[in-house]
Amino acid sequence: MTLVELKVGKYLLKSIVLETPQSAPYLKIDNTINVLFKETEVIIAKGDLTPMSLQNRINGVVSKIERGEILGRLTLDSDIGEIVSLITTSAIDQLILKKGDNVTAMVKTNEIMLSA
Amino acid sequence: MIFQFTKKLNAANGHFRLEVDAEITEGNLITLYGESGAGKTSILRMLAGLLQPERGYLKVGEEVWYSAEEKINLSPQQRKIGIVFQDYALFPNMTVRQNLEFALYKNQDKRVIAELVDLIELGDLQYRRPETLSGGQKQRVALARALVRRPKLLLLDEPLSALDKAMRDKLQNYILKLHRNFNLTTFLVSHEVKEVFKMSNEVWVLKDGKITSRSTPLSLFSQTDVSGKFKFTGEVIDVEKSDVIFIITILVANNIVKVVADEREASQLSVGDEVLVASKAFNPLIQKIN
Repeated sequence: MTLVELKVGKYLLKSIVLETPQSAPYLKIDNTINVLFKETEVIIAKGDLTPMSLQNRINGVVSKIERGEILGRLTLDSDIGEIVSLITTSAIDQLILKKGDNVTAMVKTNEIMLSA
Repeated sequence: MIFQFTKKLNAANGHFRLEVDAEITEGNLITLYGESGAGKTSILRMLAGLLQPERGYLKVGEEVWYSAEEKINLSPQQRKIGIVFQDYALFPNMTVRQNLEFALYKNQDKRVIAELVDLIELGDLQYRRPETLSGGQKQRVALARALVRRPKLLLLDEPLSALDKAMRDKLQNYILKLHRNFNLTTFLVSHEVKEVFKMSNEVWVLKDGKITSRSTPLSLFSQTDVSGKFKFTGEVIDVEKSDVIFIITILVANNIVKVVADEREASQLSVGDEVLVASKAFNPLIQKIN
């Protein structure tokens, strides 16, 4: 198992993978790879963050909100590009999210996949 | 199993030298993949003893079937092989059962016929003549006949390319079943990526008579290497919008799985697409059955 630190724009993201540098040739310092995560795994927070275990935090501005009956789709503009988050519509309501809000998008280290 | 073959072959654009040298774990199902004229059929014919290499060696199990040096060259009848080509070549004047029985060697135990009729579900067809059968049914009979002598090698030269998709699927399942039940080492010539995935655990790419790569279908056909440990290939059978997300239904082997996708992912997918489904090893639940 390896904890991989990824430089993405100004952020340092972390990913845990089962591979090791011995088993996966792409796990090499300074190697450029793709960082993948599912939209359903993007957690949204607004305002001050209480201490929490999530390490991958990306600041963004809400650029679009699509409300479904159960799920909602948030589009964020961030320094590292557009990020989409799928969270429940009730969560959107609870956070009183609207266009232009500053939010933090978070992804657990075990949800980040790497692709060579 | 070991084989080395060298032979000059003629192709549409001049001639080339076939040179293959391979060691194979018996029990594998290997697809030979490559453009026409790359030497795939010639390899099958050399394994079968229908085409003689200039130089070479072939050992299956502990038996040497061909050795140019030792001047050993077993005839096709002496080699323990079963062959199925695209055309069925059944005897028209015999019933299905007679076609199978004709393939028995002298004094062979006839129980193998019943076993094959059962495995390939030929019970209802066994007293019919080939002319009354559909293409898929004929190919099932041809498959059964190829196995009557309990061969060690099964050689399949695009046996399903003339069949429609549903029939192809069914025949692929029969071949897999026979491959396991008869402990075969199987060589399949195929051009269809989906078939290669479903059927083989090893794929060889042939080009101008040389094996240019030996790998699993996944590492050959998926362009990217994804770190996810829970990964499968399948075929998209449905893309459905639900709320703000899409539900993608994918056929993975014989199982239907559903994957939630964002519209950016879904817009790139359509029914019939071959896809890689990957998740991290951290996500799946495991529950013991029974």
